[in-house]
Amino acid sequence: MKPDLMPNNQKPIAAKTKQKAKKKSSDRSLGYMLIAPSMILILIIAIWPVFQSFYYSMFDLRLNNPAKSEAYVSYKVNLQTYLDNYPFLISSLEDEVDEATGKTKTELEAIKTNLEKVDAELKSDGELSSKYDEIDEKLTVMEPISEELAVSDLDKEVALDLEKAVTDSSERLRELKGELQNPEDVIGLSASLKDSVITPNFIGLKHYKENLTDSRMWKAIQNTTVFTIISVFAELVIGLAIALLINKAFFGRGLVRATILIPWAIPTAVSAFMWKYLYDGQNGIVAKAFAEIGLFDQMTDMLTTSTGAMFAVIFADVWKTTPYMALLLLAGLQTIPSSLYEAAAIDGASKWKQFLKITLPLLKSSILVALLFRTLDAFRVFDLIYVLTGGGPANSTETISILAYKVMFAQTNFGEGSALSVIVFVCVAIISMIYIKFLGRDLLNDR
Amino acid sequence: MNKKAGPMFYVFLTLFVFLVMFPFLWVLASSIKPVAELFGDRAFIPFTNNMTGENYESVFVNYPFLKYLWNSLVVSTITTVYAVLVASFAAYAIARLNFKGKTVILGLVLSVSMFPQIATISPIYIVLKNLGLTNSYLGLIIPYTTFTLPLSIWLLVTFFRKIPFDLEEAAKMDGASPMQTYWRVILPLAIPGIFTTAILVFISAWNEFLFALTINTDDEFKTVPVGIAMFEGQFTIPWGEVTAATVIVTVPLVIMVLLFQRRIVSGLTSGAVKE
Repeated sequence: MKPDLMPNNQKPIAAKTKQKAKKKSSDRSLGYMLIAPSMILILIIAIWPVFQSFYYSMFDLRLNNPAKSEAYVSYKVNLQTYLDNYPFLISSLEDEVDEATGKTKTELEAIKTNLEKVDAELKSDGELSSKYDEIDEKLTVMEPISEELAVSDLDKEVALDLEKAVTDSSERLRELKGELQNPEDVIGLSASLKDSVITPNFIGLKHYKENLTDSRMWKAIQNTTVFTIISVFAELVIGLAIALLINKAFFGRGLVRATILIPWAIPTAVSAFMWKYLYDGQNGIVAKAFAEIGLFDQMTDMLTTSTGAMFAVIFADVWKTTPYMALLLLAGLQTIPSSLYEAAAIDGASKWKQFLKITLPLLKSSILVALLFRTLDAFRVFDLIYVLTGGGPANSTETISILAYKVMFAQTNFGEGSALSVIVFVCVAIISMIYIKFLGRDLLNDR
Repeated sequence: MNKKAGPMFYVFLTLFVFLVMFPFLWVLASSIKPVAELFGDRAFIPFTNNMTGENYESVFVNYPFLKYLWNSLVVSTITTVYAVLVASFAAYAIARLNFKGKTVILGLVLSVSMFPQIATISPIYIVLKNLGLTNSYLGLIIPYTTFTLPLSIWLLVTFFRKIPFDLEEAAKMDGASPMQTYWRVILPLAIPGIFTTAILVFISAWNEFLFALTINTDDEFKTVPVGIAMFEGQFTIPWGEVTAATVIVTVPLVIMVLLFQRRIVSGLTSGAVKE
């Protein structure tokens, strides 16, 4: 009997595990399929840019300079720029040679031969030569030329020869300026010709080295830290006080809740402009009130002195985000069972003791989560300061994000700006790591 | 919760609400004053005897404010719909299905939501510029994914987790495919959570500033926050128009917050509070 039973018994079990395994694998493939679109988007739009920022930060990248507007690791030539200038330069030079006499004539002829020599060198490369002809043709019929066709790799030696020849001729032409018929023409053309040579703008970690020894960068880090610590601390204390006070049944709860949501919901840029009006040195009511209670000597001090401006920015931030903090903490408070307080009261614990021994320990994870989000938000602050003070007066409220923005978009120095933004990223990563260490894995586990 | 509120409490509460609302009330009072009364002695008197709507008129006549509102509406709506849709698939998988690497993925989503925008802006700007997408709606919708998608996934996961698992089991017993289970059982129950997520995502897209400031510099495509921030007169800041524009932007938000406050609070606190 026994040997008979065994296989009979095993069969259904095997089938069941097989079914379970099948379900598990179908769950898995479905799961991966469902998360794929989100993961691909996040990878392309959020994660790739961070790496690309790091890559850009190692180049001397300037959007307003055609020869440095992209990250180049090798020598290249822009044949479009080259052919837009070279033939005209040569013909202008020929005209000048015809007009000139004596020493000037030989000088000009030497320049011309020199240029023609490197031109021949360029054309000696088979692939480059065919591109050369193609672009030349397109230019004569005024057809648009794609970036891919225009810019091509160049041998380092040829590139250096070309650069040297073009720079030399440009310099020598400038020296001969007084003796030429149309000096502007040839000098202008030779200067433009120089732009056709693209030298690698890879500079390694130079931007970081410069930034880390730059007092403006450290001042910005300091401003950001001061802003973050003071505003987040004030928000936590005031937010906790409000949460404790309104954690009871009262008439008009919904209305109060809606009121404290409004500062959170309004665009930061708009609220910043609103505060700029309230802080105004001539007609700002808040500036007047602060001056009258003696916080400032004069109304105008609010936005024109460095401490005044920092205070103004922090005050506006506290006004806008304390409600948010209070809401998060209130939700945490409501999860603490009231029976704990009742028991403590019976044991004769004072209110203060109850707060220290029950409320704070049980609220710890809510507080840490709220602090994490607020600290990171405060550290990358941009809108508020950009609109309210623009980083002024005298860079006293310039945070690291504002500095990075200014370097990138006002100075169009994308390489250095990217380096600064990578520094912001690293700071944010360090801050979150510290918090996560305190929070443990609580944040991600199934609830 | 069962503590009773005394009269002192209501005094405090009124004071608190007044302080929070004061900037808005002051701006509202200023917006209906004639421009002359915004300066000099009358600047600090909240009421005016010469109430006027000229500031409001000027906002629409002298500035393309309606265009800004429209741009913001288009960008935020499309962003919200597409982010919530894509995120709902991922959130469903993370919350309800069993597969390896879920925690890692959720951790990744959370970290991405903490990325400082400034760290992604240079490559995004250069790519959009090369694609000719600066000064277009798509030019904002694409980068807005960086913060709306992680936010949507994070919120939706917490909402999906709250739906009882028994229902899903029952549907499976009855032979429903995972897709059918999702459409027929989970989705109808998740609608309130999805709606809450959509409100929060919409607000975050509506309020975004840095991308809007750098990518859409043309008046034709500016959004409201950037539009207002750039309200500068030739010599001075046109405070009359600024206050009026602020009121125009705030009023719909106040209505929205009043209507949906319960949902917004539940969305803001979910994921941050253990229950």
